[in-house]
Amino acid sequence: MTVRRIEGELPVAFRYTPGVGNTAFFEALRDRGTFLGSRCADCGVTYLPARIFCERCLAGLVPDTECGPEGTVESWTVARQDVDGRPLDPPVTFALVRLDGADTVLLHRLLGTADIGGRVRAVLRPERTASILDLQGFEPV
Amino acid sequence: MTGRRVAVVGAGMTRFVRRAQETGKELAFQASRAALDAAEMKLGQVDAVCLTSAPDAFDGVHRKGDYLADGAGGWNKPFIRTYVGGGSGVFTAIQGWYTVASGQADVVLCVAEEKMSSCQPHPQGAFLTIFDNILERPLGPNLLWIFALEMNRYMQRYGLEKRDIAAVAVKNKRNAADHPAALLGQADISVDDVLASDVLAWPVQRLDVSPISDGAVAIIMASEETARRLTAAPVWIDGVGWNLDSTYWTNRDLSYPEYVEKAARMAYGMAGITEPRKQIHVAEPYDPFDYKELHHLEGLLLFDKGKAPEAAAAGVTARDGDLPCCPSGGLLGVGNPIAAAGLMKIAELFWQLRGEAGARQVPGTPERGVAQAWGDLMQVGTVVVMGAGGAGGLRGSGLAARPHPSPLRPDPSGQSAAPPTSMLGPTSLSDAQFRSVAGAVDTPLDVLYAWDPGDAIGAFLDGLRDGRILATTCASCGRTLVPPRAFCERCFRSTDAWMELAATGTVETFSICHVTWDMRPLDEPELPAVIRIDGSSDGGFLHKLDEVAPDDVRIGMAVEAVWRPLDDRTGSILDIAYFRPRDPAPDRELVAAAAGEMTP
Ligand SMILES: [Zn+2]
Repeated sequence: MTVRRIEGELPVAFRYTPGVGNTAFFEALRDRGTFLGSRCADCGVTYLPARIFCERCLAGLVPDTECGPEGTVESWTVARQDVDGRPLDPPVTFALVRLDGADTVLLHRLLGTADIGGRVRAVLRPERTASILDLQGFEPV
Repeated sequence: MTGRRVAVVGAGMTRFVRRAQETGKELAFQASRAALDAAEMKLGQVDAVCLTSAPDAFDGVHRKGDYLADGAGGWNKPFIRTYVGGGSGVFTAIQGWYTVASGQADVVLCVAEEKMSSCQPHPQGAFLTIFDNILERPLGPNLLWIFALEMNRYMQRYGLEKRDIAAVAVKNKRNAADHPAALLGQADISVDDVLASDVLAWPVQRLDVSPISDGAVAIIMASEETARRLTAAPVWIDGVGWNLDSTYWTNRDLSYPEYVEKAARMAYGMAGITEPRKQIHVAEPYDPFDYKELHHLEGLLLFDKGKAPEAAAAGVTARDGDLPCCPSGGLLGVGNPIAAAGLMKIAELFWQLRGEAGARQVPGTPERGVAQAWGDLMQVGTVVVMGAGGAGGLRGSGLAARPHPSPLRPDPSGQSAAPPTSMLGPTSLSDAQFRSVAGAVDTPLDVLYAWDPGDAIGAFLDGLRDGRILATTCASCGRTLVPPRAFCERCFRSTDAWMELAATGTVETFSICHVTWDMRPLDEPELPAVIRIDGSSDGGFLHKLDEVAPDDVRIGMAVEAVWRPLDDRTGSILDIAYFRPRDPAPDRELVAAAAGEMTP
């Protein structure tokens, strides 16, 4: 019996549109440097980035609630390897940050160090393209 | 009676569009919200959520079930995603039915979503791995091959005219002109338009095929007692059935969907239907291709084998015909966001059986309908029988349906005042808008797979390298299996012996294909075919023909393998370069006689 290894690919790429809710979030970030969320008054929950529906009650929501730009570190970690296991030099710190006014958290880079519960502020890039990378990261206040 | 009685109490859907700005979650929300609004219900009244979406590789989200859960109202609830390819939309209604019938939940929201526009360069790429990676992928297959090969076999078996089959595409696109959610409604389309459209993979032409689409559909199901509280006009799930044929698609009877008949008999049995042609008043058979509607109507026992096409051409299946089929406009007209399209058929029966289908309403007072979908590697049948009224229902009590709330957004087409008026969105993007939408992200699926052929196919490939065609045999059922298998899937026992067969065979069916999998034109057409090796049992395997003019190929033609030079063989299906006619100038009359072809 011959041992064979038959290779194949799945030759597809994806174009992800951010949808109605995230488009409103990204455009506000790009054009005004603000963080746009949406609030369900019935459930008392503010979602950031903005969503067009409340996941708890399926009410339609409007992206009209600004959050941040300061917030609180909910958790953090230091990545010392990239996805292929190669060393990252320097290491990169990531944090989950809850911006003031939001009930949900954002995953992004922590520029510096902060403990859980520590206060941070968003750092924006001057040239912005409607991307999560328009946000450079969060720096300690 | 099977479990508790279950009814549909509400339905909603998005428009079907070519490119939606909305994410899959947002599409699922729009449909779910529309269904809840139509039934005047809140999410808090829903006990459980059943979701479906076809391959993850369409949306490019490789965890679509939980990804879509929030938009489907699944937060903090018993939630399940089911998946049987194209059969998924109807199957999720079956899943919803047994979640309620079993007593596990009183109210279930069933949601079907598909966003095919994410997949680049063409959603067909997501289908490439449905082919056998060892024996079929090396041939460079195209999804259209499967349909073209099946359609050709169906036409040849019953001596069908393409013109009669094209009547289905015309009917459905005309019906869809009255559907406010439709992508391809066209009131003035003619059979000649279909016959003049581009030949993609003969006999499949462009207008024989349903469009790539984005969209979502939702329905609400409830137990009998709850349904009667929620609405004066519940529509009952009278029967459900599903069945799966051989996973070796080239071994199946390509001219008749046996598995649809088995699924239909299961559903009819539960519904107490003994004479479907009298007891079914409206049908929504699955129609991704025009011939498939006909194939499925025969499998649903609504027409004799091979007789659905002439009935379609004669108007029997028109909206005002004796048996209205796809009054919605079906996949060919409304669109084909795969999983959502199946659930759209359930929603259509809900509206038809309540007399709420507006301009699409079939005449009379239809009391029973059947919806059906089909999928996986074209071998699963899913069937749901639905019934209006009954004791205490709309027609039994004479109660009028509760008026529906006004839509959250006006119907953009303004074509119909009747449901689905509560339809929402989505925002349809042009290709240019889609290319330039703010914040969009492009990501290749950067993976490579390596497959081991396993014992039986490994030995088969060793044989091909040596210029031999090897088979296994099952002493229990007496079949000789090519390609060989380590076990007989029918007798469910190990196969018994190996044998060698001559490298000659018969063309079971073929196509003349003019496009690549991503729909680019080919310079020279290619000739995919299902070849049955002489001495093997049922069906054959996929390969290509050459050394023959496309117009000279006939089903039933005797062929032989042309081997690659010994030094070039690697133990691959491509060690057979192609099959060619055994007689360079085939005697067409003999070939036709051998194939049982009807002489005109
Ligand atoms: Zn809410």
